[in-house]
Amino acid sequence: MSNTTYFHHHDPESEGAKASCIDASVRTPVLLLFGNALHWLLIASVLALIASIKLVAPGFLGNVSFLGYGRLSAMARDLFLYGWASQAAIAAGIWLMARFCHRTLGGVLLRTLINSAVVLWNLSVLLGTLAILAGYSTGVEWLEYPNWASAMLFLSFLMIGIWVVCLFDRRAGIESGGRAEPALWYLVAGFCCFPWVYGTANLLLTWKPLQASAQGAVQGWFCNGFVILWLLPIAFGCLYGLLPRLSGRHLNRQNLAPLGFWLLLLFGGWAGLARLIGGPIPAWMTSAGVVAGVLLLIPILIVMMNLSGLRRRGEKENIAWQFLSAGLSFVLAAGVLEALTALPGISAFARFTWVTASVDLLWLFGAVSFPLFGVIYLSLPALLGRECWSTSLSGLHYWLTFSGLCFLTVILILDGLFAGLALLDPVVSFLNITSYSQPFHVLEAAARLLLVAAAVIVASNFTRAVAAKRLFPKK
Amino acid sequence: MHRLSTFLIGILLVFLTSWVGVVAYSSSRLGHLDPIADADTGGSLPPNLQGDAIAGQRVYAAEGCIACHSQQVRQTSVTGTDIARGWGVRPSVARDYLRDSTAFLGSVRLGQDLSNVGVRLPDAKWHYRHLYHPGSVCEGSIMPSFSHLFEVRKIQGQRSDQALDLTGVDAPKAGCEVVPTAEAKNLVAYLLSLRHDYPLPEAPVKKAAGAK
Ligand code: HEC
Repeated sequence: MSNTTYFHHHDPESEGAKASCIDASVRTPVLLLFGNALHWLLIASVLALIASIKLVAPGFLGNVSFLGYGRLSAMARDLFLYGWASQAAIAAGIWLMARFCHRTLGGVLLRTLINSAVVLWNLSVLLGTLAILAGYSTGVEWLEYPNWASAMLFLSFLMIGIWVVCLFDRRAGIESGGRAEPALWYLVAGFCCFPWVYGTANLLLTWKPLQASAQGAVQGWFCNGFVILWLLPIAFGCLYGLLPRLSGRHLNRQNLAPLGFWLLLLFGGWAGLARLIGGPIPAWMTSAGVVAGVLLLIPILIVMMNLSGLRRRGEKENIAWQFLSAGLSFVLAAGVLEALTALPGISAFARFTWVTASVDLLWLFGAVSFPLFGVIYLSLPALLGRECWSTSLSGLHYWLTFSGLCFLTVILILDGLFAGLALLDPVVSFLNITSYSQPFHVLEAAARLLLVAAAVIVASNFTRAVAAKRLFPKK
Repeated sequence: MHRLSTFLIGILLVFLTSWVGVVAYSSSRLGHLDPIADADTGGSLPPNLQGDAIAGQRVYAAEGCIACHSQQVRQTSVTGTDIARGWGVRPSVARDYLRDSTAFLGSVRLGQDLSNVGVRLPDAKWHYRHLYHPGSVCEGSIMPSFSHLFEVRKIQGQRSDQALDLTGVDAPKAGCEVVPTAEAKNLVAYLLSLRHDYPLPEAPVKKAAGAK
């Protein structure tokens, strides 16, 4: 019985709005969010490429020395986090929630509010980035935007998020006691966690900073929380919602899904403390972080159990399916790597090297971005009411992103392991270790070039698709 | 998980565990540490920062030094490397950051840990030359140049005693000199203030250290 209530395939259309009406109602904000997100991704990728070239040739663009590695890497990361990943997650959340709940975005007032929130979000990203460039960075990693820019971002999120969360209670079928499907839990949880995580961290680190002795634990908590409590639930919402629908099959071992959901939220909050192993926080905190980092594997494995069996039945040619399915694999890879690096024995040499960066990369670029790309490829034809993607460009985008990401991850891990193990021996001088890393830095720049190419392709594919609509309006 | 309200209460409760454990605990306990009286000098530990060093923290933040440098010496129970490399004589503890406006803990070490750089490299002139062109004092350094923190100007009468002694490619044109701007001076004052070699009750300093 309960199997059927999770899915709305055979839902009476009368109970909720028709898919085409829903799409029409959310078209403007979702297109704006996705379009801006893809362009920020492109800029972020270019800045990250320049930063990695600077590691190979510190004199590159040397005459503009204020455009140094420190500012470039902060700008690139924040553009990725707020310009791309968060923005695309909001767009995916709006579209999927409206679709899965069978509700339109109604009312002129609400539409205006949401559209202005989209503008405000992008304005904050732009101004925050320029502020870093101009030297107004807060110096807190992942929260470099000055306090006014982060406050604007926060406000803009609330303007959209409240509506999205409230859809949960307005979903079709709720009156007849229909239970919500796992995709909805994850989407709502993500939208609730963003204000908590981002608001708390900004309040205590940039708006009204704590005494610095207390900042370390909050910093670690924030970085992991931002990924595991906000972005990852949205990615899981995409996977849980779309993989069953695209494959036409039910989840496997569905009864485990609630456990996976609650454990993810529980351990996700604590795992960040493992980033500070050996650091200036009480020992019980790092121990809790280690335990949570390893136990985080349980919810990840449950997600794999629920979803990975569906993959064999999908249409392999479908580009959205390819991205979603690869995203699921990256979830497992990132979870395993996170658990490994949370072990004190490994952290002792891997911490402070590129190994740490590779874990974040796998979460953000693999586990989060791939499902979001999947949603973009799936939603656009529905929103525009026509086939709009160039298949050759889409395929090229998939292969460039996939190979670029895998290549970059491997390079970062190898570089980190070499440097980390060499650092253990105090006889090897620091500058020697830097010189061992140079060949890796060259390869890293090459991998980043692939990712820039991928970002160019997907951004132009998107622009082309949307522009074509204006040239040939719908019949 | 049928109604939003029950669902939200569940999420809130789960979220609160880490929120209370990490965030509330940190801000209520670690956020109210006090300095310790220093019996030797009559001052306090960690020592007060001078105004220019406080201003230097903003420069450190603005330039993104944290992208490459950490400021924490790890516990010896995890690894002895940090101390063996001479990055400190004891592990860092929360109280060490008491005087900072932002804790620049860092997550990447493309360059050395800087928590004790003021002990290791106490010469301001060295820092100016290093910041102006890292490669000139450290062959093969990948640290970027921060030459925009310096000013090249015509020598007016006497050469300024703050002018950098630059040679080779860095040397300014004849009749010109390179002097640090206020930002560079603040930054270097901050770097020189980074010395956590004093003992604290929770972090005693072992004497016979074979550090190099
Ligand atoms: C691209 C990464 C990078 C950035 C950004 C960076 N550094 Fe460095 N830093 C290094 C490397 C690599 C070394 C080691 C080689 C050397 O001494 O130049 C180093 C060394 C140092 C040293 C000497 C430490 C020692 O023990 O010898 C100091 C001091 C220093 N950096 C300060 C700074 C300051 C201040 C900033 C910001 C204004 C900064 N660094 C930004 C990479 C970086």
